[in-house]
Amino acid sequence: MALTLRGVSVSLQGRDIIKAFDLDIASGEIVTLMGASGSGKSTLLSFIAGDLAGPFSARGHIMLDGQSLGSLPPERRHVGRLFQDDLLFPHLTVGENLLFGMPRGERASRISRMEAALADAGLEGMAERPPHTLSGGQRARVALMRALVAEPKAMLLDEPFNKLDMELRGALRAFTFDHLRDQQIPCLMVTHDRSDAPAGGRVLLLKDSMERDD
Amino acid sequence: MKVKTIAGALPLGVLWGLPLMAALVLGVVRGVDADAWRALFEHPQLWPALWLSLFTGIAATGLSLLCTLIILAGLYRTRLWNALQPMAAAGLALPHLAFAIGFAFLVAPSGLLARLAVGGTQPPQWSTIQDPWGLALIAALVLKEIPFLLVTGWSALSRGDQAAHLDGQCRAAASLGHGTGSAWLRIVQPQLLSHLRWPLVIVFVYGSTVVDKALVLGPTQPPTLSLVIWNDLNDAETATNLRGLAGAFFMSLALGLMLAASGLMKTFMARLARPLLSAGPSLASAPKRVAAILGGGVVLLSGVVTLLLAVLSVSPRWPYPAIWPPVTGTKAWLSLFATPAPLWTSLALAATTAVVAVLVAIIWFETQDPSRDRYLLVPALFSLAIPQLVIGGGQYGLFLTLGLVGTPTGLFIAHFTPVMAYVAIVLAGPWRGFDNRYMAAARALSSTPLRNVLRIKLPMLKAPLLTAAAVGFGVSMVQFVPAQLAAAGRYSTLPMEAVTLTSGGNRSLTAAYALALAIPPLIVFLAAGLLGRPRWR
Repeated sequence: MALTLRGVSVSLQGRDIIKAFDLDIASGEIVTLMGASGSGKSTLLSFIAGDLAGPFSARGHIMLDGQSLGSLPPERRHVGRLFQDDLLFPHLTVGENLLFGMPRGERASRISRMEAALADAGLEGMAERPPHTLSGGQRARVALMRALVAEPKAMLLDEPFNKLDMELRGALRAFTFDHLRDQQIPCLMVTHDRSDAPAGGRVLLLKDSMERDD
Repeated sequence: MKVKTIAGALPLGVLWGLPLMAALVLGVVRGVDADAWRALFEHPQLWPALWLSLFTGIAATGLSLLCTLIILAGLYRTRLWNALQPMAAAGLALPHLAFAIGFAFLVAPSGLLARLAVGGTQPPQWSTIQDPWGLALIAALVLKEIPFLLVTGWSALSRGDQAAHLDGQCRAAASLGHGTGSAWLRIVQPQLLSHLRWPLVIVFVYGSTVVDKALVLGPTQPPTLSLVIWNDLNDAETATNLRGLAGAFFMSLALGLMLAASGLMKTFMARLARPLLSAGPSLASAPKRVAAILGGGVVLLSGVVTLLLAVLSVSPRWPYPAIWPPVTGTKAWLSLFATPAPLWTSLALAATTAVVAVLVAIIWFETQDPSRDRYLLVPALFSLAIPQLVIGGGQYGLFLTLGLVGTPTGLFIAHFTPVMAYVAIVLAGPWRGFDNRYMAAARALSSTPLRNVLRIKLPMLKAPLLTAAAVGFGVSMVQFVPAQLAAAGRYSTLPMEAVTLTSGGNRSLTAAYALALAIPPLIVFLAAGLLGRPRWR
């Protein structure tokens, strides 16, 4: 699986903030995208995910394994996403949050997959708990597992570690990257903090005129 | 407790809390009369009337909720979302009674619909109003409750943080493979329904117990239970009055049981639906087309009814099967202004009750800790969720005891009770949500507390204050049950006149009175909107 961007431009009220951007992300590769506030990082992720709205507009080609995503609505793109907030559904239990995104199938096998995912995240026995009873770190892990059990073909991370304390941040970062690499999922991560980037991974810097600093 | 706290609670207690509590207690005391209950259970129309009332209430609530959810689902996160609120609010502008009168003119055998669809020289033999199943009443209730539930639902989904959270959750749902319809059904709707619980209780209780609308559109043989009770409460015999009071409490018990049963049903249904919520991704999209048809239908019918009232009010003669009146004139309006007492009484009551309610609410909010708001808001919601016949019947007993029947004081209290409840509910959120750092900044400038409230807080909260006053004004204008009982024939208001006129043959005058009920609140709402605009934006 590979995520490819070709000639992607993002504009705000007619002014290009990202111009003719090309990017290839290989299977299991995690590319970090950095830049000042307002440089269009999160907007680029929204464009890839297919839910760009508001004053922004974007054009260009997005391909996942050679298939163009341009005309597909977000729900058909198979592009997983983690946000700054965990966005766990408050009226569903932890287990139901995971089942929500898991492809349909036999109930027993879905439940055993859900339990395995929770165990993998060190959250055994928490399937029946409502999300608000979990700690910040636990919630972040549930959000990640929820995104992964949906079997995405690519992953977008929008500053997902931003609101965690330093200790938790390091642990969750390692946990997330390990899983993405294990499952060979190409990933584009937006962050303000260079220490979030995986060791040895590519880091792109968005400047005013979309310069790249590899 | 501080002197300031006690003094601040006094106006609310004296003008609203005590009369409301006394009315309910006295109503219960008078309503437990064994002979009255015996007479009630011997009433030949009791059971059929009760079933009819429950049927109209349940059908109106269920259909209104279903249509509201479809419209919200279809328009949520679309470009039309922000247009929904003003459109639904416009649908609320026409009071229930005025809408019922216009709706009757539309669907009656000699109404506009029959003229357009059937024609001929004689009206068709339809039983489209006062039909035995209460279908006309249900339809009119549904058409008015949909805008109410839409406004409530829209507000719940568009409120600051909540709106952002739900938007984020929908984006997360899409990234997990759920279409817009699936995300609505599994994520937004379950969270919305918890916000609609109280509005649905109010819709159900209103639909099951409405009097004025049922007098215009409801069945007659048997009528709904509210009309059986209404006739008893208006009877000259004390024993029959007491039977009416017992009937009002019997009805409350029946509604309470229904609400308890619906609570159990909700729990059961929620458990049944639980696996559906986590059944995995579905690409189902939102029902945009159905939502547009339903929403457009409600807007169209509300518009047609309003227009029909306007045309009728200037049509002294409009014989069947003419599609348009042969002559127009202002006779009905001149007649309305020739006997202006009901109009002035309604306007004076609406203005005074709204202003006093806003003042009393301000005094409460400024002197009480926010944690004490439950002593205001819970009784306010409760007073709106119990049948008006219970409050009206109890108040009537209280006014008889105190010699206030047929007095301006009695009339004021009868109108003030619901007005205060609505004003408190409307004002509580904005008042308690006010950023008190502004007051801290003012205090740091050595200004006095009173000056701070008058010069800083009130101007900054001008918009919600004016909205609350406009809501209070509108609520007062349409009071019928408690007002009629308290007035005892010595005073007349617009709703009383309008209901009386519906049983006569002067459609033009009835339409003029129906519009007179609707126009002043509309003007007040528009004025509140204009005057409430902040100057600093």
